[in-house]
Amino acid sequence: MMSHRARGARAVVIAIAAGSLALTGCSKNEGGKSGKDSKKDQKEAAVQSKAVTYVDAAGSTGPAKEVPGAKPGGTITVYQEAGLSHLDPGQIYVSDAGQVANLLFRRLTQFQEDDKGNVSVAGDLATDSGKSSDGGKTWTFTLKDGVKDENGNAITSSDVRHSVERLYAKFIFDGPTYLQSWLSGSDYRKALPGGGFDGKHLPASVLDTPDDKTVVFHFDQPRPDLPQTLAMAGYAVVPAKGDTKEKYEKKPVATGPYKIAQNKAGKLLKLVKNTNWDPKTDSVRHQYVDGFTIQFGVTESTQTKRLIADKGENKNAIQLTNGVEATQIQDVINNPEASKRTVKGYQPYVMQLTFNLDRVKDLKVRQAVTYAVNSKSLIAGEGGAYGGDVAPNYFAPTLPGYEPAYDPYGRLKTPQGNIAKAKEILKSVPAAEKKLVFAYANSEAGQKRKVAIEDALTKVGFDIVAKEVDAASYYEQIGKLKNPYDIYISGWGQDWPSPGTVVTPIYDGSQVFDGSSNYSHVKDPKVDALTKKALTQEPAEAAKTWKEAQHYLLENVIPAAPLWYTKQFQISGSNVGGARYGSVSSLIDINRLFLKS
Amino acid sequence: MLQFIIRRTVGAFVTLFLIGAATFFLFVAAPSDYASLACGKDCSPQRLADIREALGLNLPLAQQFWDFMSGIVTGRDYPTGHCSAPCLGVSFYSGDMVWSTIMDRFPLTLTLTAGGAIVFLVVGVGAGMIAAYRRGTLVDKVATGASMVLSSFQIYFLGPVVLTILVYGTGLMEDPKYVPVTEDPVGWFVGMSIPVCVMATIFTAQYTRMARSSMIEQLAEDHVRTARAKGMSRKYVFLRYAWRGSLIPIVTVLGIDVSSMLGGAVVTELTFSLQGIGRLAVDGAVNKDLPLTMGVMLFGAFFILLINILTDVTYAWIDPRIRLS
Repeated sequence: MMSHRARGARAVVIAIAAGSLALTGCSKNEGGKSGKDSKKDQKEAAVQSKAVTYVDAAGSTGPAKEVPGAKPGGTITVYQEAGLSHLDPGQIYVSDAGQVANLLFRRLTQFQEDDKGNVSVAGDLATDSGKSSDGGKTWTFTLKDGVKDENGNAITSSDVRHSVERLYAKFIFDGPTYLQSWLSGSDYRKALPGGGFDGKHLPASVLDTPDDKTVVFHFDQPRPDLPQTLAMAGYAVVPAKGDTKEKYEKKPVATGPYKIAQNKAGKLLKLVKNTNWDPKTDSVRHQYVDGFTIQFGVTESTQTKRLIADKGENKNAIQLTNGVEATQIQDVINNPEASKRTVKGYQPYVMQLTFNLDRVKDLKVRQAVTYAVNSKSLIAGEGGAYGGDVAPNYFAPTLPGYEPAYDPYGRLKTPQGNIAKAKEILKSVPAAEKKLVFAYANSEAGQKRKVAIEDALTKVGFDIVAKEVDAASYYEQIGKLKNPYDIYISGWGQDWPSPGTVVTPIYDGSQVFDGSSNYSHVKDPKVDALTKKALTQEPAEAAKTWKEAQHYLLENVIPAAPLWYTKQFQISGSNVGGARYGSVSSLIDINRLFLKS
Repeated sequence: MLQFIIRRTVGAFVTLFLIGAATFFLFVAAPSDYASLACGKDCSPQRLADIREALGLNLPLAQQFWDFMSGIVTGRDYPTGHCSAPCLGVSFYSGDMVWSTIMDRFPLTLTLTAGGAIVFLVVGVGAGMIAAYRRGTLVDKVATGASMVLSSFQIYFLGPVVLTILVYGTGLMEDPKYVPVTEDPVGWFVGMSIPVCVMATIFTAQYTRMARSSMIEQLAEDHVRTARAKGMSRKYVFLRYAWRGSLIPIVTVLGIDVSSMLGGAVVTELTFSLQGIGRLAVDGAVNKDLPLTMGVMLFGAFFILLINILTDVTYAWIDPRIRLS
C-alpha cells in the first residue's frame, strides 16, 4: 500500500489496471442510432480506460468546480418507481438510497469525477483520501475544519467513531459490512454488542480518536481499498448528538448540501437547502437548486412518457435510478429533441448464466452451454443496444481490470452463439447430462430471458426443463445451497471500482453457504489463493492477480457463461442543466444539477 | 333492525379475525420472507438471523400472529415508538406505522371511489333508465351501443390513451396527481379528474347495461302493469314504482364495487401512478411486507363487511317486503 508521504503529486494513480471506471463508455448522449451508439460506447470504454486515483488535501478542498452555465434557484422534481427502504446511512446499500444520500450525507472520503471522466477518491469529511502506514494496516484520517451538521454542530472524530460503532448494533442490518468485518472479524457484532450506545467503545487498537480531528483505523492485514470503501453511502457520518437509533430512519441529520424537509415513506421526500453546509469544505457537491421533490410510485413507463412530453413541471424533472422504459427506447431515440436530454453509460452489472456446480459437474457441458448461449437475443429483450452489450468475460466495463478484447468463447464474433462448436463438444457427453433444469424469474424480463436461453440450448441438443421462480424471491431461491436447479441467470456489480468486490463475493470458496452470492458454489483452491493474494496487494499488482483469477475461472472452471453487460439510459427534462452520467453511480450525476431558468 | 346490525357486526369481527389468520398463515407459508429479501448481498446466516431478530421474525408464528392481532385492540410498543390502537404493525420495508400509512393513502382512494361512484351512478344508471324508458328508440340504441363498446375497454388501455391525448400530446391537462381537498380544492379536482373519469367510464358502461335490463324487467312486472291499467301515467309509474324496484341489483353490485374500490383500485392507481391503498397492497405483496399486507387486507375486508351490512339495510329500505330478521 502506498503511503501518503509517498504521494507528492496531487493525484496519485493507485490502480493501473487495464480498463477502468471513469471510462466505461459513459457519455452525454447526443442522439443517434443504437448500433452506432453501442460501438461508440465500446470504443469509449476501451479508449477512456483510466485508473482510479487518490487525491491529496489540495484536491479535496472545496468549493467544487463550477458547472458551466449553472444558475441558482428552483426545485427539481425526481421520479422513482419504488420507495426507499432506508434513510439511515448505516442501512444504505442500494443505489436509489445511495443517490439521495449523495445530497444528504458526507463520509470520510468521496468519489469525484472530472470533466474528462477521470475518477478519483478525495477527502470528504477528511482533509484527504487518508494516510496509510504499517504496510497498509493502519489508516489515518484528519477531519476538515468547518464541517457542520444541519443543526450547526461541528463534526468531530467522536462523531466518526460513533458512526462506525453504531454499525455493530443489531438494528443496523441492511448496510455494507466491509469495514466492520475488517476491523472486528466476520462475527463483528460480538465485539461491541451495544453499538457504542452503552458507553463502551472499540479499543484504541482497532479504532482510535486521539483528538477531535483525528481518526485512526487499525486492521490485521493491509486494506488498500479502504478510501474507496469509506466512500460508500453506508459509511456516512451520523452525528452522535442527533442519533435516535431506530427512529433515525425517519429524520436523519444531514451533513450534505440538502436536508429533509418532508418525508412520507414510499410517497414523497422533499429536500431543501442545508444552510449549515459550507461549499468551501466540499470538493464535489453543489447546491444550485433550492431543493428536490422526490415523488415515489411513478412507474418507469409513466416517467418516460412524462419526460418525453416535457410539459409543465416535467421540464424540471429527472429520473433517480429508473431509466427509459425498454418499450419506449425507440421513441426517445427517434425523437432528436428528447434524445439530446438523455444520459447513458454502462451499469456495473454483468449478467451471466450461472452453473450450479454441485449439479453440473461435467466441464464439457459448461463449455457447450457457454458457446451456445445467444447474447444477441437476450440483449434484444433488454431494449437492444441501449439496454446492454455483449459480455465476453466476467469483468464489466466499469471495473478496473476490464479487458474488452478478452473473449475466450468468441462471444463478440458470434453473439448469437456458436452452435457448431457447442454441438461438437456435446458429442461425447452422455444424454443424461444434457438434461438441464433452468430456473427463471416469473417477471416480464424473466419470461423473455427464458425463451432466449431455452431456444439457444435446445438448438444444440440440450433438454431444457424450465422452472418458474417467484421474481421477488428469485435471488433468494437460487442462493440456496441445495437449490434444485442446474442453471440460472444472475447479475452482479461492484461495490466500488475494484475486482475484489466482484471476485470475492461470487467466486471465493469461503462464500459457499446458504444465501451467499456465490451462486455457482465454486470452491477452487487456486481461485481462493489468488483472491487472498490480490486483496492484500498494491492495486497495480492486484490487477494482475485479478486478471489471472478471471482467466483461470473462465477458461478452466467456467462457473458461469457471461451473457451481457447492462446499460443505463435515463432522460431528464429540458430545463435541467448539468446532467451527465456519473461514472461511480452509473446514474445521472445528481450533485451537479441546476435549472436553466 | 338493531338486532340484525348487532348480529352482523359480531359476525364481521369474527370474519375479520379469520381473514387476518388466513392472510398471516398463507403469507408465512410462502417460500420466502422479507428478511431474506432484505438480506441482499453477502447474505450470511448471521446477517439473516440479525434481520429476523430485528423484525421479530424469529419469534414463534403463533406469538407473531397474536402480537399483531392483539395490537389492533391494545396498541404495541416498537423501538421506533408507540403504535396506538388500532395498530396494524410497522412496515418491514419503510419502518412506518401501517395504520398511519393507510390513513395517509386513504383520502386518494376515497376520492377515486366516491368520485367514480358519483359519475357512474348518475351517468350510468341515468343512461340505463332512460334507455329502458325509451326502449327501441335511437336513444336506447346509442346508450346500449356505447355501453357495449366502453365496457369492453380496460383502464390500462383507456388510461394511457386519454393521457396521451390530454396530457402528453396536447398538454390540455396536467399529470394526474392527488392534493388534499383541504389544501387546494381546485388542484384536487383537476388532478383527480382524469383517473376518476377514466375509471368511471368503464363502470358507467356496466351500470348502463345493468340499469337498463333491470328497469326493463321491472316494467314487465305485474304491479307495474296493474298500475298502468289503473290509469296511472307511464312516467308516474316509472318513477313511483319501477325505478325503486330496479335498484335492488344495482345496489348489490354497487356494494361490491365500492367496497373493492375502497380496498384499493389497483389498476387505476398503477395506470396513473397514484399512491392509494391499491398501490400499498401491491407494495406489500412485492416486498413480502407482512404487516403492510395484513393491514391493507384487513382494511379492505373491513369495508367489504361494512358495506355488505349497509347493502342489506338498504335492501329493506328499497323494498319493505324484505325483512332483515
